[in-house]
Amino acid sequence: MRKSIFTTAASMALLLSAGVAQAADTKAALIPGGPHPYFAAWEDAAAAAAEDFGVEAEYSVPPAWELSQQNEMIESLVAQGYNAFLVFPGDASGTNATLGELDDFEIPSATLAGCTEAPTPALFCLGTDVYNSAYLGTQELIDAMGGSGQIAHFTGFLVDPNTQLRIDAVEKAASEHDGVEVMQVIADIDAPEPADEKINAFLAAQGDEVDGIVTTAWVPAVVAATSLRNLGDQRIKMVGIDHDQVVLDAIKDGFVHGTMLQNPYGQGYIGVYAMDLVRSGCTMKDDAPWLTTAQTDRFIDSGTAFVGADQVDNYQDAMVQETDKIMADFKDTYMNCPN
Amino acid sequence: MSATMHLLRTDWFGLLVAFAVGAVALGLAQPSFLSTYNLYVMLTAFSLSILIALSQMVIVAIGQLNLSVGAIGGLAAITFAGVMEVWSVPIPVAILIGLLVGVAGGTLNGVVTHVTGLNAFVVTLATLAIFKGTNIGITEAQPFYEIPDAVKSFGNARFGFFPYLLFVSGAIGIAVWVFMRRSVLGRQLLAVGGNLNAAKLSGIPVGRVVVAAHVLSGMLAAVAGMLAVARLQLGQPTIGDDWLIISFAAPVIGGAVLAGGHVSVAGTVLGVAIIMLINNALVLLNVDPYAVQLVLGALILAAVALSRFREPA
Repeated sequence: MRKSIFTTAASMALLLSAGVAQAADTKAALIPGGPHPYFAAWEDAAAAAAEDFGVEAEYSVPPAWELSQQNEMIESLVAQGYNAFLVFPGDASGTNATLGELDDFEIPSATLAGCTEAPTPALFCLGTDVYNSAYLGTQELIDAMGGSGQIAHFTGFLVDPNTQLRIDAVEKAASEHDGVEVMQVIADIDAPEPADEKINAFLAAQGDEVDGIVTTAWVPAVVAATSLRNLGDQRIKMVGIDHDQVVLDAIKDGFVHGTMLQNPYGQGYIGVYAMDLVRSGCTMKDDAPWLTTAQTDRFIDSGTAFVGADQVDNYQDAMVQETDKIMADFKDTYMNCPN
Repeated sequence: MSATMHLLRTDWFGLLVAFAVGAVALGLAQPSFLSTYNLYVMLTAFSLSILIALSQMVIVAIGQLNLSVGAIGGLAAITFAGVMEVWSVPIPVAILIGLLVGVAGGTLNGVVTHVTGLNAFVVTLATLAIFKGTNIGITEAQPFYEIPDAVKSFGNARFGFFPYLLFVSGAIGIAVWVFMRRSVLGRQLLAVGGNLNAAKLSGIPVGRVVVAAHVLSGMLAAVAGMLAVARLQLGQPTIGDDWLIISFAAPVIGGAVLAGGHVSVAGTVLGVAIIMLINNALVLLNVDPYAVQLVLGALILAAVALSRFREPA
């Protein structure tokens, strides 16, 4: 049933767009898995890319974190004539079916911020190297702790395959230092109420023993920063993740040592750029310097950067620099384009 | 009947004993359990959860289920935060607006359930999506950050280990207890849940009672949402997303009959306390993160089973 609806929608869109030059009519859709503040930068990126590359780019958020709702949104956008898709996979395997249907109608797609399982119709996966980000963040934390002490790791949903990578990365960084130990990992707290309850319970029980906190998910970072501020505790060092205003303010005020920025803006901007090139006739290079992850062998790191108190007022610069660095040779590095 | 026998037959006494035994055991295993700050942390979570559980309990009393408790609470939360940030609405007015959101949500649930005759499970499943969709449409998944200092201070203030939030939810809990036991409408709720036909034949205005239960449920959820804003110090669009399990588990542990007609405010409150104790223990005892959900689920199931086991046949 869903397939037939999809077929009808895609056919209508193709009929409407038949005979029109490709590059000039790129209509890219950027679709997160559901509502989350992380993806808000995609909207700005879409607007900037639309202006810079002369394309249409729309950021559309499914109403809930459900694969079916994301799929329905994609179908709807196909019916509206969108012909390039940048998707955060609602499910690492399940999203492949929808991307495959897009591919059947020669609609290119790529995944942003998270990858689909290979083999996949997605042309590439552009996202944060979460292992590297968590590893670097923990190293920054250990430096701030003076090279030794006990660490607590607060992270996101265990069903997210990235979570285990983050747990492993924090353990790896800690294991490289004598006298550093990960004393507790608290997971499944990427929602405000459980994060508040569990992080504060941990601080109540172990606050005197823990020397550093590393958070590798958005909500735990916000809640932990708020808790340290409420406690007035500047002894415990913390390295957060992402750029929520609560975390940035806590860095300014000395309650948080720094944060590991991801680059959602760059993901959206570069993603639209790549889709427009593909629609202009470019293809992805097989021999590009693709990175390999547990899910895909066509991964591109969208960059990560540590932002401490010195850089926090201009944190966007770090994201822009990362984006510029990737954009500088993206076309030559990853694509074969007709002259 | 002796006083002891009377106590043993109440919904709440066994739960109180279970909670006390659990608390003593946890205190012995992890002395920091009894630290002032940990008790404050537990009571803070307890304060919010009481309201969430009571919000569901009043619907269970009429023999229905409300899947939209969290969605109503979340919508009230972001409305409360949003009007203060965007329109600089004074706090009392913002509270009133938040409450009105709860009333409106509850009224919609109640009226649609009664007028259509559809199962409340289906109706609230649909309204859950409506309320959550409205939330996301308003916030675009971005929190409201500019919460007045007075609200933030209140959400994090305490007297000893008693959070101020507990005074609000405690007062509301007592009011709900009085309402259910002493008021005509409270007794009518139980009558409708116990036997709908008998309630109709005895002249109870069933429609009005059903709508009133949903309005009360919506108001309780709205208060919980606004307290969550005060506690978290920001209007997170995801407030309420995690309320479903506790909203059902606590009343059931507390002796509520899902078919309606019998609920216990004291039992529900103790059900919340037991779930809070379990959650706290999982953190304090450093349970493997991959085992947390399994252990939590198993312990809640055990609590529900024990609660049923002690009931007379």
